[in-house]
Amino acid sequence: MNTTTREQMAYIAGQAADARLNVELETEGMTLNIGPQHPATHGTLRIVARLDGEQVIEAEPIMGYMHRGYEKLTEVRTYPQVTTLINRIDWLGSFANEVPFILAAEQLMEIEAPPRAQWIRTILFELSRIANISLFLGDMGVQLGALTPVFYAFRDREFVLNQIEAVTGGRFHPNFDRIGGLKDDLPAGWIEETREVLGKMRTFCDELEDLLMGNEIFEVRTRGIGIIPADVGLSYGLSGANIRASGVDWDIRRDNPCGLVYDELDWQVWTHPDGDSFARYWVRLQEVREATKMIEQLFDGLPSGPIMAKVPRIIKVPAGEAYVETENPLGAMGYYIVSQGELVPFRVKIRSASFNNLSIAPWLLKGVYVPDIITILASLYFILGDIDR
Amino acid sequence: MATESAEAEVAGDSAVELPALPEGSVAAFDILKATLGDCVLGSHIKPTGDLWVRVAAEAWRQAGEVARDELGCVWFDFLSVIDWLPSPFGRDMDAEQDRIVYGAPARELEAMEHGYAGGESRLQVFARVAALPSGSNAGVAPAVILKADLPDENPAVESWISVYAGADWHEREAWEMFGVIFVGHPDLRHIYLPSEFEGNPMRKDFPLLARRVKPWPGIVDVELMPGEAETADGDGAADAVGGAE
Amino acid sequence: MGLIESGKMPKPLTKLLNISRRYSLWVYQWGLACCAIEMGATFGSARYDVMRLGVIPFPASPRQADLVVISGTVTDKMAPSIVRLYEQMPDPKYVISMGSCANCGGPYWDSYSVTKGVDQLIPVDVYVPGCPPRPEALLEGIVLLQERIQNEDISARWRGEPIVVN
Repeated sequence: MNTTTREQMAYIAGQAADARLNVELETEGMTLNIGPQHPATHGTLRIVARLDGEQVIEAEPIMGYMHRGYEKLTEVRTYPQVTTLINRIDWLGSFANEVPFILAAEQLMEIEAPPRAQWIRTILFELSRIANISLFLGDMGVQLGALTPVFYAFRDREFVLNQIEAVTGGRFHPNFDRIGGLKDDLPAGWIEETREVLGKMRTFCDELEDLLMGNEIFEVRTRGIGIIPADVGLSYGLSGANIRASGVDWDIRRDNPCGLVYDELDWQVWTHPDGDSFARYWVRLQEVREATKMIEQLFDGLPSGPIMAKVPRIIKVPAGEAYVETENPLGAMGYYIVSQGELVPFRVKIRSASFNNLSIAPWLLKGVYVPDIITILASLYFILGDIDR
Repeated sequence: MATESAEAEVAGDSAVELPALPEGSVAAFDILKATLGDCVLGSHIKPTGDLWVRVAAEAWRQAGEVARDELGCVWFDFLSVIDWLPSPFGRDMDAEQDRIVYGAPARELEAMEHGYAGGESRLQVFARVAALPSGSNAGVAPAVILKADLPDENPAVESWISVYAGADWHEREAWEMFGVIFVGHPDLRHIYLPSEFEGNPMRKDFPLLARRVKPWPGIVDVELMPGEAETADGDGAADAVGGAE
Repeated sequence: MGLIESGKMPKPLTKLLNISRRYSLWVYQWGLACCAIEMGATFGSARYDVMRLGVIPFPASPRQADLVVISGTVTDKMAPSIVRLYEQMPDPKYVISMGSCANCGGPYWDSYSVTKGVDQLIPVDVYVPGCPPRPEALLEGIVLLQERIQNEDISARWRGEPIVVN
């Protein structure tokens, strides 16, 4: 019996004992409202939890406090204008939001970006993964009461943002991807600078491993907490590190890298068999490390050539439907574009990762203790813009 | 990416003759056809492997079950609705843009043009489920997109909650945005909008009021030089505002 | 304190009090959208170090805060909570509206669910433009607010008379 199973058994036994006590004492339920503005919710999420003693009987996330109506707004914007908008869905890894949309539009227009553009796209895609997940790595510490990691995360994240800014001109919302290629090439000397930054990010991962993952309190609060069995996770549509932490060996980057060059690289998909909060943290940490290695390989193999295919000046997308999904930092993100041959899309269904990832929360939060709500939500790792759209 | 050339509508038996189609998708279609029989109303396969299947609304839940159990599509991707009504409001400002800037003729927006796998009604519910690529539960096809026509009056369809637990929030969203009722959903409540919100914003006939008050500032992309103002664009601006009554 | 309420403050004393208020702004942690991350970078990272300006980003409750940064998109669903939290802050209180969304709706100017500008709900002292503004821009906004506090007639503010927008 490994640590996690033992601790999980102890946890369940504790839950059962508490529940029995609550029945004997005939305790009354209580409703606890967390949010919409609360330091422990990532942004403007509200959770209404019905408690019995220290246990959650039922917890329901209430979202919509950040609903901006993306799907409607895309219907009144031209294709190049849409990328400006969708940058802001997952605001920590903005570039990654643009890629599936552009790929879907390219699929409909039957354009393929030149190889160099595809490689640079992949580089920026992975850089935004690092920018995104590094903040999670620090933030998870804050949620569990360790303040230091988040300062480290903000410190080291700045280096990555600087590199993204050097290429795209935007720290947050690059709006750099174009149908048929990219806006610009990489600036001179950028590759060498970025290699240095990647080294720093690896050090950051090592630091966190020492600081946080070996920490006894951290382990006690995350091991065995919020276990997601693989089949339940799949039926809720969980993706990304959340499902890989439940032992499902599935990564869209490897299995269907449409338009990106992951099949040219030598890399590994990390999974963890436990499915608890600790496993989710662990998998994400490994993914940041893996991403730094991938970017270095991408630098080594970067082909030369143009960065833009021949594209008409006014972009009209032929009628049809396309769905492209990529492995974004938060999980699988896809755009279902319905075009009727206009300047604007007829309908865009945005499949965002966090919406599905959070939808398991009511199932997962049943019966846990109040402090574990925070752990579980933190480890599911969602971004409100990605849920509410 | 020669999508168009090899694309084909596979209606019923003709699927076998076409060479370029990916085997997995064809096999998946055959299974759906065999199980659901006449309830399969249309289909479409892209060379990339994407499979569209349109089923009758009565068979919606059953189609989900078949996809999960027989095709191995255990992973729930998303569920949503398309409103095929040509928009009387939604994109009118940009239709102005076509007309004023690029000189396109004024368009008649009358007939509904349905997408892949066809369609008959205005509202169409669609969902995508996918299979894991490897391992013990690898699926027949990588993924399948299911569609179903909904009746225009009182659009309703059976809920998928019993098939895919993750459909819960997606159905709430679809109910809120399109007014589609999912029979058997225990809890159809507002998910995004405040409870006093009226209307279904994603329907094509829901106007974006801000756009009607003020036309999209990006209609003309060349700003006029000082001095040559007013006379030149008087026409276009008046039209754009005039259309907004 | 009687002096302040009666409005007969000697000038030097006003200046002194204003200096102390200016350099001890307690700012409420209020994250709404993308801008919240830039605000986090301003308040939480060593590079931008907002504390050197005398801004203290610790209170997790509006009842201890002097300043609130509305950082991000304000939706109609969020609006009542914003008004309520603003009302919970003790006077004198200041508001910085950060980013295009909070200023005027920004890229969501035509959305059906976004409030076009937080100034429809609460009075705003400083608007910081940008989408999102860089941390330096927020620092500039804070410096501007501090200048404003320095030149303020403290007694008018202290009496807590409501500031009416319109």
